[in-house]
Amino acid sequence: MLMQLTISGISQGAIYALIALSLTVVYRSTTIVNFGHGDFVMAGAFLSYVLVVLLGVAFVPAAMLAVVAMFLLGLAFSRGLVRPIRGGPHIGFALMCISAGYVFRGIARIVWGREVLPMPRVFDINPIFIGDLIITGDAIFILSTTAIMLAVFFGVLALTDIGKMVQAVYQSARGAQLIGINVDRFNDFTWGIGAALGAIGGILIAPISLLHPDLGASFLIKGFAAMTLGGFGSLYGAVLGALILGLSEQYAGAYIDSALIDITAYLVIVLVLFLRPHGLFGRKAIVKV
Amino acid sequence: MMPTQTQLLLRTLLFWAVPLLLLALPLVTNAYVQFIANSIVIFALVALGFNFVIGNLGQLAFANTALFGLGAYGSAILVNSFGLPWIVSIPLAGVAGAAGGFLASAAALRGIRLYYLAIITLAFGELMRWLYVHGKSVTGGTDGMGLPAQSLFGFSLTDDRAKFYIFLVVAVLLFKATLNILRSRVGRSVMAVRENEVATASLGIPTARIIVFAFMWSGFVVGCAGALFALHTSYVFPESFGMLHLIVSFAMVLVGGLGSVIGAVLGAAALTILPEYLRSFPGMEELFFGLIVIAVLLALPDGLASLLRKLSPIFVERYYRE
Repeated sequence: MLMQLTISGISQGAIYALIALSLTVVYRSTTIVNFGHGDFVMAGAFLSYVLVVLLGVAFVPAAMLAVVAMFLLGLAFSRGLVRPIRGGPHIGFALMCISAGYVFRGIARIVWGREVLPMPRVFDINPIFIGDLIITGDAIFILSTTAIMLAVFFGVLALTDIGKMVQAVYQSARGAQLIGINVDRFNDFTWGIGAALGAIGGILIAPISLLHPDLGASFLIKGFAAMTLGGFGSLYGAVLGALILGLSEQYAGAYIDSALIDITAYLVIVLVLFLRPHGLFGRKAIVKV
Repeated sequence: MMPTQTQLLLRTLLFWAVPLLLLALPLVTNAYVQFIANSIVIFALVALGFNFVIGNLGQLAFANTALFGLGAYGSAILVNSFGLPWIVSIPLAGVAGAAGGFLASAAALRGIRLYYLAIITLAFGELMRWLYVHGKSVTGGTDGMGLPAQSLFGFSLTDDRAKFYIFLVVAVLLFKATLNILRSRVGRSVMAVRENEVATASLGIPTARIIVFAFMWSGFVVGCAGALFALHTSYVFPESFGMLHLIVSFAMVLVGGLGSVIGAVLGAAALTILPEYLRSFPGMEELFFGLIVIAVLLALPDGLASLLRKLSPIFVERYYRE
């Protein structure tokens, strides 16, 4: 029982990790928290649905197409809507993200109405049995995809020049500009990466859950809960926070009350912010007078 | 440009002339127009209260919908379960909203700001909605709860025209009170926190408590608006306080103008009348309000109020003297 819950907790957590990570990537380079990110995730999932179910594309190329499309959308969003309002009040960015999210949600609802869509099962990976333990094909698929994505992501950050640029822009945007990094274009790129990573999360969750236009709100909260738990702005913290969140949802749901699964994320946010506001790995914010 | 003494007088006259003229409105409206007018009054209050936090305090917050719901549910529960007359439930709904504002922002006292505070308010809002749906025995769950017909001093309050007068009185009181607060020491502190919290704190102003106060006043105004809403639709159910309401309140504040009291009225009026046509198409409202906010952010960041300010210095909102 405990092991079974652990496995489903980790595979849920893996998806949350992608969402929290994509939020963190954008936050680190632009200091903008994408309050519409849940809807970006939803949009990625819907795009893959359209391609697979309505256009009959096979799952893997469809997923890739959807991720590329979301990358471009993120880029265009940053270029067309975020750049022009720089210099305005910070609240403007948040409102821009929220409204973009509502636009996605509105479009999804116009196209699909109030229906809840089941994504066809696309993968027939045989479950693995270890004693009483069953690891479903979905869990295998989610875990392996996430593991690969995380390896590529952290590999690029640690080993390439892009990783160094990310670090430079995070430490000081102006300093990065001085050494010849085009910070504007870099930020557009970051938005693209954020949207693409989020879309992967959405695509992975689509086959194991039902799709509906309001999917985004809960993703957003889970992403925030993972970020808050791990420490806002910490990349490793986001991943670890997501795994802890996934596990605590499953444990709380099984051992305490199944209604708790829905609100674990909220409780985590409130508890962490009251008890340890900088999370597990975040730096304590110091206000200079 | 600062308004002159005559212009200031003119402004005061204008403030009282608008509601006085509105007293005549029910004489010329039909039932449908009257219903819309009532909605505008309520949403002007919602925008006023929300603006107090996101415009005047400059803090991103998502709890507005929850506070509105608290007011509406609070009023309906007081009338249904405790048998109070509806009119008495208005200030109590305001108190419920203020309590909600306190809960949503109490983390500020622990030094939590900006995004963290915004996320807490988001979580608070979602928790409240969860409560409406799951607190079946009190809230009626997803079916919601009705409000029995009300009367005041023997006058029946079932007609939209009769309701309008009460809504108007409540709105005028709350607008006046908010303006007075903004002009007071506390109100100036609220706006000082928006400009620079550290500098404000260095003047010996307890900024954390100012933030909590702003949320509580916002909650009070929005809570009262919720009580009006309960009578207005004579039915409260969770869907009225969902995600759509959130973008509607953001859009009203932005279209009117962040931090502008006049803007709250303008935004509410513009955005209550326009989308009436969209109601029957699922998704259209979300798309419409999303696009409106984007357009305003790009093209008119200070909202409709900034156009009025260009027209005449009477509409310049400044809460301090040189």
